[in-house]
Amino acid sequence: MPKFQENALILDHREVADRTWLMRLMSPKIALEARAGQFVMVRVRDGIDPLLRRPLSFHRTFPEEGCIELLYRVVGKGTLLLSKTVPGMNLDLLGPLGNGFDLPAPDARGPIALIAGGIGIAPLFDLMERIALSNPAFDPQEMNLFYGTRTVAEFLALSYFGALGVRVRWSTDDGSFGHKGYVTRMFAQFAEESAFRPESLYACGPLEMQFHVARWALAHDVPAQLSLESLMACGLGACLGCALPAASPDDPAADGYVHVCKDGPIFPAGAVQWQKLQVHRPPPPIFLSD
Amino acid sequence: MAETTGTPAAAPDLSVRLGPLRLANPVLVASGTFGYGEEYADFLDPGRLGAVIVKGISLLPRPGNPPPRLVETPAGMINAIGLENVGVDRFIDAKLPLLRQRRATVIVNIFGNTVEEYAGLASKLDGTDGVAALEINISCPNVKQGGMVFGTDPAMAAAVVGAVRARTALPLITKLTPNVTRIGEIARAAVDAGTDAISCINTVAAMAVDIFSRRPKLANVFGGLSGPAVKPIALRCTYEVLQAVKCPVIGVGGIGTATDALEFMLLGARAVQVGTANFVNPGVSVEILEGIERFLRFQGLDRIEDFIGTLDAECLFPFAEDACGILDLP
Repeated sequence: MPKFQENALILDHREVADRTWLMRLMSPKIALEARAGQFVMVRVRDGIDPLLRRPLSFHRTFPEEGCIELLYRVVGKGTLLLSKTVPGMNLDLLGPLGNGFDLPAPDARGPIALIAGGIGIAPLFDLMERIALSNPAFDPQEMNLFYGTRTVAEFLALSYFGALGVRVRWSTDDGSFGHKGYVTRMFAQFAEESAFRPESLYACGPLEMQFHVARWALAHDVPAQLSLESLMACGLGACLGCALPAASPDDPAADGYVHVCKDGPIFPAGAVQWQKLQVHRPPPPIFLSD
Repeated sequence: MAETTGTPAAAPDLSVRLGPLRLANPVLVASGTFGYGEEYADFLDPGRLGAVIVKGISLLPRPGNPPPRLVETPAGMINAIGLENVGVDRFIDAKLPLLRQRRATVIVNIFGNTVEEYAGLASKLDGTDGVAALEINISCPNVKQGGMVFGTDPAMAAAVVGAVRARTALPLITKLTPNVTRIGEIARAAVDAGTDAISCINTVAAMAVDIFSRRPKLANVFGGLSGPAVKPIALRCTYEVLQAVKCPVIGVGGIGTATDALEFMLLGARAVQVGTANFVNPGVSVEILEGIERFLRFQGLDRIEDFIGTLDAECLFPFAEDACGILDLP
């Protein structure tokens, strides 16, 4: 699949939830090739500091209109600078990168489960839209979205999901809305109580969340596609910085790595040695101006 | 451009000679920042570059270091990849043919844990079609054995270069680490042992920590700093090496623009390598090449050779003579 470097015009840019920004860009070449779950490397501004691009997954894509939407959370210097850009400016994008989600088979009727942790909602929205568009026979009510954030202010509005008609269950870590506790807990509890066995599972969120999703999927033998993240320099498979310890079914002791940018960012639950992962946590927001 | 006088009709001659190695132009891409070339296929034609220096190759495949492997720092990044690579056999079978197909000049960066491993790699690559030169990596800060151990001691450096020299007639480039007190001594040892050129520099040993998790930001604790932040260090090292040895030097470190590249060539570097900048802008090496050409036209120079090493070091202080007296300069 071809990759492009595109100077994309910002059409719209607004804060849609707490420190969560939605940006619409004119990027016809990338929009035409994009698949749900793939990402772009965004140069947040010219110059040498910050030096590296930031990987952001597609939130929505409009191939006919030549537009893409990115949804991101301000977690550091790069995303903070990005949030200061305004419509009419241009952003240098590289993409589409990575492998993307595999959509359910054309004759699939569900149910499927989608688990989003915080900003992890970003690529899952594109996925739900693609499923709805590509497979009209798929009842949107069979798409079960489990959507958790730390607190209510971080949610995308309910109305956002209305048009899609998917079933949404909400959780917050602090109990300010929906189920109180982690989204993985809510999901596991729901699956247990209502004997819910999705045909497939899609998830995006912090690595700790993905670890629990992967455990559940492996234990219940449900095929899962997890969108994983890592710091990366190039997004093209050259820097080899975005390595995660690979699980090798043939040789559990093997010492190999997968790379988020080219082997992923979408991985099956069994592809990664979760117990070897070191989790990178962004700094608390109060220190963002540093 | 209206100011330029007598713009030559013909394109300036960008070709450079590094000892036995002749390159169509002086812009190379640095090992470890360009994969095996295929990663950049959508963005530039590797055949346009002076040479592609591929990711460091060892006798056997290496998995590399555990993550996190990289961290961004002001105007730079620190990496501790740990020389992950496919091994020399798979490189020759699967990676080299693609580069040859695209008419790239290929320089293979080699490293080993022992002198014998370096020599073994040299033997293997000596008979391989499509390899223009070897770059001996005695400067990686991210592996426990080998790498930088060889590059910080003149005798060890000489042992590695000598062993490789004995096994191959290919042009040899030795890549030096800046993490030494006197880089000129290491350069001299490498030249005496038979290297044809010096690459200067590899990454600068560095570290980053997180005050919230109270951990190092790299699993390897230490890593190598690269990017614009290291350019002044690289310029100083290049200058020192050029003072110490007569052999051709390739400038590396923080080059992201044609101006950066020309600064190294002004000191006397006969070629440059573009490294970290490839990650930020995949087509940057060709942009740098075009920028150098524009500069030569602007200056009315027909050949890049006429610019290399023209630094006027005598004229650092363009004051009156008595002003220098006040400063008490030697």
